[in-house]
Amino acid sequence: MSLFTTRYERASFFDEMFGASGEFRPHYRRLAERLDTLSEGEFNQRRAAVDLAFLRRGVTFTVYDNTEGTERIFPFDLLPRIIPAREWTRIEAGLIQRLTALNLFLHDIYHEQKILKDKVVPAAQVFSAKHFRREFMNFSVPRDVYVHICGSDLIRDHDGNYMVLEDNLRCPSGASYMIENRAAMRRAFPNLFESYRVRPVEGYAETLLKSLLHIAPAGCDHPNVVVLTPGVCNSAYFEHTFLARQMGVPIVEGRDLVVRNSCVYMRTIGGLVPVHVIYRRIDDDFLDPTVFRPDSVLGVPGLVGAYRSGNVSLANSIGTGVADDKVIYAYVPKMIRYYLDEDPILPNVKTYLASEPADRKFILENIGKLVVKSANEAGGYGMLIGPASTEAEIADFRAKVAAQPRNFIAQDPIQLSRAPTWCDGSLEGRHIDLRPYILHGEKITVTPGGLTRVALRRGSLVVNSSQGGGSKDTWVLQGDD
Amino acid sequence: MSGPTDRAPARMLLHLIHRTTFVYGGDARDSFNEVRLRPCDDENQACRQFSLRVSPESAVRDYTDFHGNTVHFFDVPEGHARLVIEAESEVETVPDASRAAPAPVGFDALAASPEREMQAEFLADSRYVPLAPEIWREVQDVLSGGRGDVWGDAVRLGRHIHSTFKYRPKTTGVTTTATDALKLRAGVCQDFAHVMLGMCRCAGLPARYVSGYFLNVDRLPGEVEASHAWVEVFVPGQGWLGFDPTHNRSSDERYIKVGVGRDYADISPVSGTYRGAPTLSLDVDVKVSQLNSLTAVPG
Amino acid sequence: MQTTPKAPAAQRSGPMLSRVAHSLYWMSLYIERAENVARLLDVNLQFLLDFQGLSESLPQEHWGSILASSGGAELFAELHGEPDSQNVPEFLAFDQRNPNSILSCVLSARENARMIRDQISSEMWEVINELYLFLRARNAAEVWRAGPYEFFQQVKRYSHQFQGLADSTYPRSEGWDFIQFGKLIERADKTTRILDVKYHILLPTATDVGGAVDTAQWHAVLRSASALDAYRRYYVHEILPWKVADFLIFSDTFPRSLCYCVGRLDGYLHRILGDSPARPRAPAAVAAHDLLADLKSRDIEYVLQMGLHEFLIEVQKSLDRIGDEVVQTTMFFPADPEPEEHQHQQTQQQQ
Repeated sequence: MSLFTTRYERASFFDEMFGASGEFRPHYRRLAERLDTLSEGEFNQRRAAVDLAFLRRGVTFTVYDNTEGTERIFPFDLLPRIIPAREWTRIEAGLIQRLTALNLFLHDIYHEQKILKDKVVPAAQVFSAKHFRREFMNFSVPRDVYVHICGSDLIRDHDGNYMVLEDNLRCPSGASYMIENRAAMRRAFPNLFESYRVRPVEGYAETLLKSLLHIAPAGCDHPNVVVLTPGVCNSAYFEHTFLARQMGVPIVEGRDLVVRNSCVYMRTIGGLVPVHVIYRRIDDDFLDPTVFRPDSVLGVPGLVGAYRSGNVSLANSIGTGVADDKVIYAYVPKMIRYYLDEDPILPNVKTYLASEPADRKFILENIGKLVVKSANEAGGYGMLIGPASTEAEIADFRAKVAAQPRNFIAQDPIQLSRAPTWCDGSLEGRHIDLRPYILHGEKITVTPGGLTRVALRRGSLVVNSSQGGGSKDTWVLQGDD
Repeated sequence: MSGPTDRAPARMLLHLIHRTTFVYGGDARDSFNEVRLRPCDDENQACRQFSLRVSPESAVRDYTDFHGNTVHFFDVPEGHARLVIEAESEVETVPDASRAAPAPVGFDALAASPEREMQAEFLADSRYVPLAPEIWREVQDVLSGGRGDVWGDAVRLGRHIHSTFKYRPKTTGVTTTATDALKLRAGVCQDFAHVMLGMCRCAGLPARYVSGYFLNVDRLPGEVEASHAWVEVFVPGQGWLGFDPTHNRSSDERYIKVGVGRDYADISPVSGTYRGAPTLSLDVDVKVSQLNSLTAVPG
Repeated sequence: MQTTPKAPAAQRSGPMLSRVAHSLYWMSLYIERAENVARLLDVNLQFLLDFQGLSESLPQEHWGSILASSGGAELFAELHGEPDSQNVPEFLAFDQRNPNSILSCVLSARENARMIRDQISSEMWEVINELYLFLRARNAAEVWRAGPYEFFQQVKRYSHQFQGLADSTYPRSEGWDFIQFGKLIERADKTTRILDVKYHILLPTATDVGGAVDTAQWHAVLRSASALDAYRRYYVHEILPWKVADFLIFSDTFPRSLCYCVGRLDGYLHRILGDSPARPRAPAAVAAHDLLADLKSRDIEYVLQMGLHEFLIEVQKSLDRIGDEVVQTTMFFPADPEPEEHQHQQTQQQQ
């Protein structure tokens, strides 16, 4: 039997597995052969085993608007996404280049503001960004690293070119799923890994810990690192505990920490123990009620003062969100040229800014053909996919854009590439993206792999877990097939 | 333009004390605070001395914020029934006679000024200053006779507020916005400043909030000695010039500037959080006095 | 000189977070409680089955006494009124409004485990999660239809599996002391309550004392504490009320006897509170020590003289105090019951 050749419908999208004339791409050939030897029953058996393992291990995420049974497993598709070495080399170089430029940009706008003075990026766009932190002007972050953990979302266009859809520079999540997905695949298809020479992703946690230790305050021989979580109700709580455990460091909540004389301590049964580096998975706004949102109960009063005094380091730094504002995103290629004098290796998706009069006019006239996004929302919220929306939804967004142009951008719809995915008993093409994880310690490294997210609903372009998305294991190969 | 003279008018030397006392209905602890109380140094004033005392005693640190203001921060972890923050400073101010008189500058110059781009935030709305239609309409009423020059228009807006608003303490609070105050047509200096900011920004004039003190010789009815607020407007070639809509005058040697921001939220004198008993009373005591007489001394 | 790349400095395993210690404590306590409630229900449903039809009022009195001794009588009366063989077991097994129902206990245990799942072995987490999924997958009606015996067996099995996995996968660290402490304090408390059930049962007439019902009830008491076999080894076949009480209170070797539990508990408490100079001799340690000394110096005659019920109530109070004080002592800078955060922000209007 063959799982896909008979029924798989290839549309006009770029397909990860099949070439234009329907042949297997070389790096997928062995996978196809292996699948060919499985009966549908065997395949289903493995799927069920993997799902059960995820549920039993509690590899789940939490859905916000649901009080009962708030945990779900992130649907996992057994067919991996495979990236040959030559493609990965380019992705890796592009991501390193991008994060280098973003880090220089953050340093610049919080210090000299050269790029604003040279009018490469309009100052008004930066100053009006929701996550621009005036409070940290002229503050020198430890080792001059602003973004220690970055997750940029990549998509492939019609011709298979990789492009950057957005950058996540605050608290990108998903790295734990990358590692758990790999573990699940190893259990389901142990032999396939040997024949494929897949590069391991398991080094992520160790590199993360190294990056965190890199920013420990000077003169600290045995830095104590902690992961700061908003708590069990957070949708990514599983990931927080997973990473803490992989790194062998405590996971703490705001109430576990106290600040005394601008130093941070955790409350233990043996008394107060100093904390030197915090991998925080809490947004800026909630970190410290004294400085940011006074109503926050998740944070630690005095934490920002301790950070300012250099007694504790934070990853990521405060104020990085300004650079993943979707308006600022549009300027990243310019930043790369400005700071590095290089051409961007990975292009952006063409973006129109509603705050620019000419672009705004274009958006309002063509809104039904565009994807409109609000500048600061994540998780697929606050978004309009013009071609897939009703008249009423479009009218609603048109009014929003006109009223608050700074808060919206629009992009040409990209028909994300598709990959064969098991859907209700047959293989069907589903749209996917890719979130690789980039760590900035002593140097910048990209974990070979990432989280491939898949839009499970037929025809959907929304891959977010909160909106019906699933995931695949991502295999980066040592070689090209 | 005043050129160099043999006899420069003397600088005014001002002394000020700003004491804030919180009394709690029991124990307060884990108190974390930020204060913006140190007078700044600029072309019009120099802070000769500054000291900040906190009781219960606490290690005070400081940093410079986005707008260039000095921020002191400290914490009081142990339980305390009252918190006293006392700032004392001596400031020398440049006499009005030595300051350049504002010259008329047109709006083209403003649009073309190289600083314009960086001042975007002083033209946009902010927490206390929404750029609401009613503010915009108020501007249209005042400037209906046609636009003049940058400073001239700003002063017209300020004088309009002074003449149509009532100075009336206790009608507004610390959270009152520009639109609230406009509805009441009353308030205190903080409200007057916010309304003027809104009007200037609607008129395309970059304007910022100034927190400071004022040596007040003839007080308005009901006016107590407190920290003061006014407005600065950017005039190309001349920098930021101050106007006080509460007292209907440009800022002069009797004004001591602490710092600037988009509105009150950026530069509130004392802010912080603590745990424990509620606050029973908050007492603010400000004293501004002159240390020297204004006779000219040899230059 | 050649430098070799250094691996990241290993984290020193510092003292445990207070919050984590408390979650371990509550997790363990709630699992033990869920098991105890399951056993209590199992035994008593069985008991009533045996005496079906003997007396109209027997079931009502019987369930009433179980409610009274387990401390949920008031809430029950408010929600259901008169107790019967349907509503009491449901209340004790599945009612989420009852904080001590099996379901509530498992939810609480899991919530605590979830908060510290990086601190416990994945085996421990998995078994709690499976227990949770097991309870979630069934509803009360289905269980009663299928016969509750298998259901209670399963709950108990999960609890035993948890104990076993904790024993074989959890390091013998401070956390272990909290896990054991939580289990033992709950176990001691439940033993007092199981004994107390009998106090609340009013026998129809004096002649029933020593009769079939009476003996069966003492039987049930022993089985509720998993003590029947052990008791028999000591006292052969005679089920004598005072001997049952003596056994459940004073046995040095039976793992659910009060004396045994308090003795172990005192040991763990000593380790938890330690001899750290930072901490003065904690009231909890003193209280546990006193309770143990009391138990060691008393005998069953003393207890009967004082009144079994009165004695048990005193012990329960001591146990409560010990539990509360341990929580207080190991929580540095204890949070307020309602952590009130105040702002004196922006209170200073500029005038």
